[in-house]
Amino acid sequence: MKLLSQRVRNLLILFAILLTLASGAASAASSIKVFGAASLNGALSEAARIFDARSGNHTVPVFASSSNLAKQIMNGAPADVFVSANLSWMDRLARENLIEPGSRVTFLGNSLSLVAPVTSKAKFTWGADALLSDLLQGGRLAMGDPDHVPVGMYGKAALEKLGRWEDIHRHLAPAPNARAAIAFIERGETPLGIVYASDLVGRGKLREVARFPETTHPPIIYPLALIKGRATLAVQAFVTFLQSEVGRAIFARYGFLPPGSD
Amino acid sequence: MFALSPLEIEAIQLSLRVAGFAVLACLPLGLLTAWVLARHEFFGKSVLNGIVHLPLVVPPVVIGYLLLVTFGRNGAIGRWLWETFEISIAFSWKGAAVAAGVMAFPLMVRAIRLSFEGVDKGLEDAARTLGAPGWWVFLTITLPLILPGVLTGVILAFARSLGEFGATITFVSNIPGETRTLPLALYSLTQVPDGESGAMRLVVIAVALALIALVASEALSRRIAKRMGG
Amino acid sequence: MAQPTSLNINVRRRLGDTELDVQFQSDGGLTAFFGRSGSGKTSLVNLLAGLDTPDSGIIEVGGVCLYSSENAINIPPDKRRLGYVFQDSRLFPHMSVAGNLKYGMRFAAAHDQQQDFGEIVELLGLSALLARQPASLSGGEKQRVAIGRALLASPRLLLMDEPMASVDAGRKSEIVAFIENLRDQLDIPIVYVSHDLEEVIRLADTMVILDNGRTMASGDVETIMSRLDLRPLTGRYEAGAVIAAEVVRHDEEFSLTELTFAGNSLWVPRLDLAVGAALRVRIRARDVSLSRSRPEDTSILNIFEGKIVEITEDDGPQQEVLLDIGAPLIARITKKSLKQLSLQNGDTVYTMVKAAAIDRHSLGLGGTRQRRRMLGK
Repeated sequence: MKLLSQRVRNLLILFAILLTLASGAASAASSIKVFGAASLNGALSEAARIFDARSGNHTVPVFASSSNLAKQIMNGAPADVFVSANLSWMDRLARENLIEPGSRVTFLGNSLSLVAPVTSKAKFTWGADALLSDLLQGGRLAMGDPDHVPVGMYGKAALEKLGRWEDIHRHLAPAPNARAAIAFIERGETPLGIVYASDLVGRGKLREVARFPETTHPPIIYPLALIKGRATLAVQAFVTFLQSEVGRAIFARYGFLPPGSD
Repeated sequence: MFALSPLEIEAIQLSLRVAGFAVLACLPLGLLTAWVLARHEFFGKSVLNGIVHLPLVVPPVVIGYLLLVTFGRNGAIGRWLWETFEISIAFSWKGAAVAAGVMAFPLMVRAIRLSFEGVDKGLEDAARTLGAPGWWVFLTITLPLILPGVLTGVILAFARSLGEFGATITFVSNIPGETRTLPLALYSLTQVPDGESGAMRLVVIAVALALIALVASEALSRRIAKRMGG
Repeated sequence: MAQPTSLNINVRRRLGDTELDVQFQSDGGLTAFFGRSGSGKTSLVNLLAGLDTPDSGIIEVGGVCLYSSENAINIPPDKRRLGYVFQDSRLFPHMSVAGNLKYGMRFAAAHDQQQDFGEIVELLGLSALLARQPASLSGGEKQRVAIGRALLASPRLLLMDEPMASVDAGRKSEIVAFIENLRDQLDIPIVYVSHDLEEVIRLADTMVILDNGRTMASGDVETIMSRLDLRPLTGRYEAGAVIAAEVVRHDEEFSLTELTFAGNSLWVPRLDLAVGAALRVRIRARDVSLSRSRPEDTSILNIFEGKIVEITEDDGPQQEVLLDIGAPLIARITKKSLKQLSLQNGDTVYTMVKAAAIDRHSLGLGGTRQRRRMLGK
């Protein structure tokens, strides 16, 4: 320490104090960390806000693609609650024994929508003979990457079921997550896209061209679970709130379906 | 032994093409920008310098989004390009090249600018006293002397372009055969539950490509230095 | 009508704390600008070359106006047709010696005075070096190439800024000899800048002393060196007159050469020069003694009769005495001897110069101008 000047030493001490205070502040309040699929952004944030106002807790939602969140949890990320956009990642966490037993529920449902920019005049029905690729007119169809992004995987399944996959799969613009896909469509860079029906709510720049029938894809289920060892009273209270009438109403407003409905 | 799958070959070819064009496109503008910054004082110089360095300090996704807004079909410049020349770079390897080029640009400018500043102005003065006009001095004295720096800039830019991800995927998405360069292919594999082994293979390939580029540049640099240093 | 080799310089330039203010004219030959470091010599050369612009003034070479603040003329350096030999040679590292030499030739094509590549290479002894890279050359070799490069650009004026600065002592006289050759064989005026008095005395036809940016004196070397008032600028240790002389004959038996100047005979150790060759001899004041009466039975060969013109009043044990023996000569003697001999201005005395005191460092070839001056006398 003799090598450091007085000034540098003072700065280091100050830094150490601030660091302690900061970490102290973080652990002082009982903060609840919720890892949620990207498509839940608006709804889950509002639910968290209302819950905090009612209960005096501090809920921190974290949004990303389900695959990224699951991998982070598998690598020790401090999540309390996980809401995934598909079953496979929740199954994976269950296999890794990372979920609090008995805490898993089927939380939300959703449906799939074929959309276009709001300025587009495109029309399409699934029964017709017309090719989906003709509608593109040289452009592309934006969707989450069908290899790993949940909304993309559902979209591919649906297109395959409807016999449209062969025609369209070489004209895709695979996006790294649902948000990126929406950005392409909203900006008019792609004449068509596939998004969750919930993504249409509150977005003036998107227009639904056709809804994918429920039968064409595996049920879109958002499972919710507590992470093992994090089941504090506050966390339990939050999960209860989400599934309460008030909670469900919030998600309904954002275009989500109750689980198992049609 | 280490046979490459068609998918891997496709990704490598695409990466080389994208990085190659990115560097070629950067070079003239990079030279000019480095020359302006190294040799001139003018109002707004620090602003220009800031803009040039933006891709270094701003998240690549942001740059990708800016490119989308500017060069997409409906973007400010993209629309004009399409209407005037029927050129569209959206969702194509050209767009990937632009994204890579933009991200690599500051590295190239820095290296070349440093080189310009290292040129002994006395040599340029000497050339002028021998009767050479300014532009001839630039061609015959300055350019050969900044060659090592230009080479460094090119290699750095090439390596950066090979590894470009964030701006690319945000601007032109992840289209196999068109924009799925090595980094994007790697990303796809890491997102899929059993893609780990495939991802590792791509990592090895990417590292090998980068090493080859660096070794080649090192060898070239040494040859040039030898000629100059006797 | 100005001669093609004439110089007319009158420039002012403020650089930091110094104000450069130089006026000078000559009708050719080698003009040496002499002064300490910081006296403005390099700045002056840069102004002549066009690498820097004066605040005001005029620069004319051979009647061609290169710069005039009054007429708003300022020709850029690449159009001035000057050759510049820099202190640090500044050879282009990425070209061979041949490449360097030829660099200025393509721009000289339009002009009449085309220098021949082979001739210059021959003159400067560069044929063995043509394929080499500059980095592998010694300091002396680099400067020879630099000189060749400047000449091959067919300049109307050659500028040399302390060209010996980075050349080691052993090589210096060789290159000075080259420059003497240049001065005599080529009809290009040369501006030579140096802080080394020996070089200047050997090479200069005209000498200009700069101090703190100002011209303190200008004239031919012999006259300047005989002025006692300039000694602070030329260096007291080095004080001594410079004499223009001519070879009369060689004494083979004793390996001596007889020189003549102003009707006097000067014996020096055998020189390798032809009879009739003109040369400059520097006789250091400390090698000159005085006597009231003509010495007899002395070992000293060179005894001249002359009058005392001026006696200095310096501090310290010694004084310098300026004598006229047909040409100026300076002797350094102790104040004690001055007093004992009661020497005064106007007195007739005998001066003695040891032949052995005159070494090859004291000699410079006289050149055509000196010949002309001597003949004129």
